[in-house]
Amino acid sequence: MSTTVSSAAGTAKRRGNSNGSRGSLFSYASITPALLVIALFTIYPVFYAIRISLFQYILTKPKSHPFIGLKNFQEVVTSYYFKDAVINSVVYTIAAVTGVMLFGLMVALLLNSKIRTVTLLKVLILLPWAIPAVVAGLMWKWILNSDFGILNGILYSLGVVRSYIPFLADPVLARLSLVLAHVWKEGPLAAIFILAGLQLIPNEFYEAARIDGGGSLRVFRFITLPLLRPILLVVLVYETMSAILTFDIVYVLTGGGPGDSTSLLSWFAYAEIYKFLNLGGGIALSIIIALITLMLIFLYMRALRTEDTIS
Amino acid sequence: MSKRVRPLEITKSVGKNILVILLIIYIAGPFLWVMSASFQGENELLKKPPSIIPQHPTTDNYRYVFTGKVPTSYEVKGQLRSRISQEARLIAPALKNSFIIAFSVLLINLLFATPAAYAFARMRWRFKGGAYNFILASRLMPAIAIAIPYYVIIQSLKLMDTHLSLILVHSALTIPFSIWFLTLYISNTPRDMEEAGLVDGCNNLQVLTRIVVPMILPGLVAMSAFAFMTSYNEFLFARFLTTSISSQTGPVIISSISGNPDVSYSLISVCLTLGMIPPIILAITMRKWLTEGLSSTITFR
Repeated sequence: MSTTVSSAAGTAKRRGNSNGSRGSLFSYASITPALLVIALFTIYPVFYAIRISLFQYILTKPKSHPFIGLKNFQEVVTSYYFKDAVINSVVYTIAAVTGVMLFGLMVALLLNSKIRTVTLLKVLILLPWAIPAVVAGLMWKWILNSDFGILNGILYSLGVVRSYIPFLADPVLARLSLVLAHVWKEGPLAAIFILAGLQLIPNEFYEAARIDGGGSLRVFRFITLPLLRPILLVVLVYETMSAILTFDIVYVLTGGGPGDSTSLLSWFAYAEIYKFLNLGGGIALSIIIALITLMLIFLYMRALRTEDTIS
Repeated sequence: MSKRVRPLEITKSVGKNILVILLIIYIAGPFLWVMSASFQGENELLKKPPSIIPQHPTTDNYRYVFTGKVPTSYEVKGQLRSRISQEARLIAPALKNSFIIAFSVLLINLLFATPAAYAFARMRWRFKGGAYNFILASRLMPAIAIAIPYYVIIQSLKLMDTHLSLILVHSALTIPFSIWFLTLYISNTPRDMEEAGLVDGCNNLQVLTRIVVPMILPGLVAMSAFAFMTSYNEFLFARFLTTSISSQTGPVIISSISGNPDVSYSLISVCLTLGMIPPIILAITMRKWLTEGLSSTITFR
C-alpha cells in the first residue's frame, strides 16, 4: 500500500507511451466535465468574494458600493464582538476537539476489543454521523429543553435535580450542551478513523509486549499510542477544522445565544450578512476564517509528510 | 497468559461492558426518544416529567402530517389547539425534493468522478498534478464565505429555487471528494487486468467500463453513499438558494418548522423521525462499505 497519486503517475511514466496521444485525449475528455463544474463553483466565487470584501456592500444602501480597501477587515477585527467571538471559538474548539478525540479513542479501543456488547455499538456508531446536523441539533435542543425536555424529566424522576435546569438559557450550560451535541455528531467519525488506525497495528506487537510482561495500561502507553500517533494527528487536525467551521448545529441548537455566549466566528460571519446586512464585512470575516483554516490545512499536510518519512 | 479467571479481570470486563452500554445509551438515546415522542400526543408530551415510553401511543401526528387530519389530542385540550404548525405538512414534499436532488447528485458523481479518477490514477497527461491539486484545494473555502457568490451565480443563471441549482452546487461540493476517494481506490488496485484488456485490443473507455468499474464496485458504492448523504444533509446552501416548497429540502423545512413559536413538539418529532429515516437505512444497510470507505481515506498511502 504505497501508492499515492504521484507514485501512480510514476508507474504510468515507466509504462512508456503505450497509451499514446489517444490516452491523453481520453484523459482530457474524462476530466473536463468534473473540472468545469468545480471551476464554475470555485474560481468565480473566490474572486467574487475577495472583490466584495474590498468594497462597501451594505444591503440597506443598495446604490452605493465605494471601494474601501481593507476597511471591512479592519472594521470586523475592531468590532464589538470580534474579541469575544475569537475567545468563544477558541474555547469551543478546544473543548469540542478534546471531547471528540477522547470519545473517538475510547470508542475505537472498545470496538477493537472482544467485548460482547460491542457488536450493537458497531451498528449504532455510524448513525449520528449519517444524519443531517440540523436534525441532530434539533434532537438535542428538544432533549435539553428547560420546560419539557426528557433529560430534565429523567434527572427529576431520579431525584438528581429538584427543579428543571435551563440547559440552553445559561451561558455556561449552553456551551456545554453545544459541545455535548457536537461530540455526539462528530465523535463517531473520529472513532472510525482511529479504529482503522488501531487495526493497522500488527498483533505481534501486542503479543511481544505481553510476553515482556507489560500490563494493558503500559501496552497502551508504549505500543498503541506511539504507533497510533500519525493517525491521531490527522484526525486532530481534521476535527479542529470542523470545530472551527461549526455552523449548522449552532444555528438550530442555540442560535448563538443566550446573549452571544455561543456565537462563534462562523456564526458572526452569518450574522454580519443576514442580520447586520453588511455583505462586505461578513465576507471579510469569512476570508479571515478561511485563512485560519488554510493555516491548519498547511499543518495537516506537514503532519502527513513527516508521517510519510517515518513510515 | 493463563486462562484462569481472576477477579480483577472480571471487574475489568464488567466495567468495560457498563461503559459500552452507557455509550450505546448516549448514541441511541436521542434517536429512540425522538421516535417515541413522535407517537405521543402533545398533552402527554408536555407532562412533567414526560413518559419515556408512550402511555397512549397514537399515530395521529403522522396522520396529520400526511393527510391534514388534526390529532384528537389537540381537540381535547382547547388551549393546545393553536400549538400546531401547518408547515409540518411540508415535510413530505421537502423530503421528496431532498431525494430528487441527492439522487441526481449521486448520478452526476458516478458519471463525472469515475472517469476523472481513472485518468488521475492511471493515465499520463500534462497538467495532471496541477489539476489534482486544484480539485483538492477547491474544497478549502469555508461554506459561509462562498454562500453569497453562489447566490449570485445561481441568480444570474436564473436557477433560483430550482432543483437544478442545488444539484449543481452539491455536485461541486461532492465531486472533489469523490475524485480523491476513487483515485486512491483505483491506485490501490492491481493493474494487470487493464494491461491484459489493452493487449486484447480494448480501448480506454472499454477498459474503464468493462474492467475497472467492476473491480472498484465497492469503492463506487461507498462513494455514491457519501455523495447522497452529503447532499441530503446539506443545510447552508439549501437555505440560501431555495425560497419555496418547490425546491426546499428536508433540513431547510425542519429548521424552519422548529423556528415557529407555535409549533407542536409532537409534529417536530414526526418531521425529525421522517427526515432521519433515509440516512439511517443507508447507514445500517451499507455499514460495511461506509466503514471500509471511511477507513481507507485515512489508511491508504
